[in-house]
Amino acid sequence: MPRLIVALRVLLAAVFCFAAYTKLRQPWLVFAMSVDAYRLLPAWAVFGVARTLPWLELAIGLLLLSGLWSKYAAAGATVLLVLFWLAMLRAWTAGAGINCACFGVGEAVSALTLARDAALLACSAVLTFLLWSPNTRLLRASRLAA
Amino acid sequence: MTKATALLIFAALAAAPGGYSAAGKALGNPKAPVRIDLYSDFQCPSCKVFHDGTFGPLVAKYVMTGKVYLRQHEYPLPMHAHAREAACLACAADKCGRYWQVCDALFQTQDSWAKDGKVAAAACSVLTPIEAAQVQALARTPAILDAVNDDIRSGQTEQVNGTPTMIITKLMRRYPVAGPVSFPVLSRFLDSLIESQ
Repeated sequence: MPRLIVALRVLLAAVFCFAAYTKLRQPWLVFAMSVDAYRLLPAWAVFGVARTLPWLELAIGLLLLSGLWSKYAAAGATVLLVLFWLAMLRAWTAGAGINCACFGVGEAVSALTLARDAALLACSAVLTFLLWSPNTRLLRASRLAA
Repeated sequence: MTKATALLIFAALAAAPGGYSAAGKALGNPKAPVRIDLYSDFQCPSCKVFHDGTFGPLVAKYVMTGKVYLRQHEYPLPMHAHAREAACLACAADKCGRYWQVCDALFQTQDSWAKDGKVAAAACSVLTPIEAAQVQALARTPAILDAVNDDIRSGQTEQVNGTPTMIITKLMRRYPVAGPVSFPVLSRFLDSLIESQ
């Protein structure tokens, strides 16, 4: 169980840090245009999301990697991945030819990106469940006591 | 883009002093600091959203003022049954100097011709009978098919994977942007690009 938790934490940390890096290395307005293409938010909210989301992803990635507040970081990752997945699903079913903006530009929303996001969401949900589960906490406590 | 806005833009472009022109499928000053290559599909709903909401203000604020040079490319997607025919008709209209009017007409009536397939009627609705006959004949010629295929190949080279896609270029920096970006967001990006050295 602890090995699975570490593996999931490292996997999700790598994904979130890479996603943040690809967004932060380009002008934030380029990412703003990708967010805007989803047609879900008014302009002021698009600017707010484009300014903050990459930093939030980076924070979640670093927290998962370090193990600090990993319970909350995992829950945050799950919430974000649910939101991303729903936005992508909406764009895909509407036939909007937009970039998913998951890892910078150039990748269209497709069945493949939806499947990849769903797999990451499953990993994040499992990690969140394990970290919040009383059994895991008891197991940790008993190890610490030993 | 409303018909009135379109007419205003075409009239202003025609009357604008040297350098600004509606030459073929390009609009504006070729020496403008920013260039936008727009890959579009006449049957794509997102392209209609972009055309109706963003294209008009983009031309009015940036193209007519010499800040942006805009070049339109056909990129009919295989999933849209009438998109290639529409692209051919628009390219044929370009030979008669009526590309932008036909482009506007095709987007305005997209819902109807996408269903009934009467693309030629929609495209020719803004042409004189003589022009309409010319355009319909030209649209079937190898030269026009080649022109559309050239645009598609250019899009493939640019790794366009959906429409509308803009390739925004300033000097050596290129920013591919896919999807129907709204004007306020696009405008903020263009302002930052134009102001940057």
